[in-house]
Amino acid sequence: MARSPKATDIDADAVRKLASLLEETGLTEIEYTHDDWSLRVSKGATAVTATAPVAIAPAADAPAAEQGVPAGAVTSPMVGVVYTSPDPESADFVKEGDTVKEGDTLLLVEAMKVFNQITAPRAGTVKRVLVTSGTPVEFGEPLLILE
Amino acid sequence: MDAPRLPSLFTLVELDTVDSTNAEARRRAEQGAEEAPEGTLVWAAEQTAGRGRRGRTWVSPKGNFYASIILRPDVPLRDAAQFGFVASLAVFDAIGSLAQPGTEAHTKWPNDVLISGRKVAGILLEAQGAASADAPPDFVIVGVGVNLRSFPEDVEFPATSMLDEGTTVLVPEFLESFGRHFLAWTRIWVDEGFERLRKNWLWRCDQVGKEVDVRLANETLTGTFKDLDDSGALILETSSGLRTITAGDVFFPQSRDA
Repeated sequence: MARSPKATDIDADAVRKLASLLEETGLTEIEYTHDDWSLRVSKGATAVTATAPVAIAPAADAPAAEQGVPAGAVTSPMVGVVYTSPDPESADFVKEGDTVKEGDTLLLVEAMKVFNQITAPRAGTVKRVLVTSGTPVEFGEPLLILE
Repeated sequence: MDAPRLPSLFTLVELDTVDSTNAEARRRAEQGAEEAPEGTLVWAAEQTAGRGRRGRTWVSPKGNFYASIILRPDVPLRDAAQFGFVASLAVFDAIGSLAQPGTEAHTKWPNDVLISGRKVAGILLEAQGAASADAPPDFVIVGVGVNLRSFPEDVEFPATSMLDEGTTVLVPEFLESFGRHFLAWTRIWVDEGFERLRKNWLWRCDQVGKEVDVRLANETLTGTFKDLDDSGALILETSSGLRTITAGDVFFPQSRDA
């Protein structure tokens, strides 16, 4: 963050308004320019830049499903579509009751043709698969329970 | 013939034949950054098990372009999908710089390239190792296939090749052009952000505002292609409202039942 003699003049209201606009619009970044100053609020970023009077406000980026995540849940690291098998003709990567090693592939999540492998964060037994192949998932959504 | 000249970012791995360049790139990437540094580009003259989306076969005889780039980007997983747009624009511009004047090319969501409404190039990306949306993946593999000399007849979406569209392109020539444009679009993305890619991609797309079918895994939606959102997802206006689509296959009404 750049130092500025006017850094104490943070307009908390403006920051709050921009932050709530981010939530409302689903945007990840807003830049607002007014006379000789401008303010940029960005979500998910650790660095927030501003010119002239400096202000910071990384808006909260709470995972959609953080509340109520069951114990042992493996959650989706991204928004996308989940698949339980490498392709429609193949068997599922895992089924309930399977034991897995750390790093074993459990599921795929696709977004814009990027296929992301969801791997086991630890060894364990697949207690429940919570998703249907081919359905959309949100960031932070529980995908399966690993015990 | 001399080895293709690529920007110094790239470390070229040239193979005569391989199962799939994405699979080979993955095997190398999993061995670590020393064995397979960022910019490793696996290029094969032919693939015996070329893959498309969801395990589909990518027909891969000699004469066409098959390559996969290993990236180890310091970007969060949530932004990894943007590499698909970098690659899509790079393929588009490589085609544009080699094609006959007057060739009509467009992008098709999320990252195909069409000539005269037929698919000439496809891209498939794989990411691995990110613990969360905010964490960088261990690696991202950007796989690209371009029909330079031949194309498959028996496919869901009609295909074509550069040759069939009137331009003879040698594979090393395409590789050099693609390498330069991939680097150029990566720089634009890093310097100016995804918005610049989004606008450029939309400018090359002729489906905005038109009716399209989007085949999802379990249903098909019909609606108007409204826009791309700031993550690259397709915004479709259906009779039951706006839908934000992150995965699916786009078809045009005239290609229904094709």
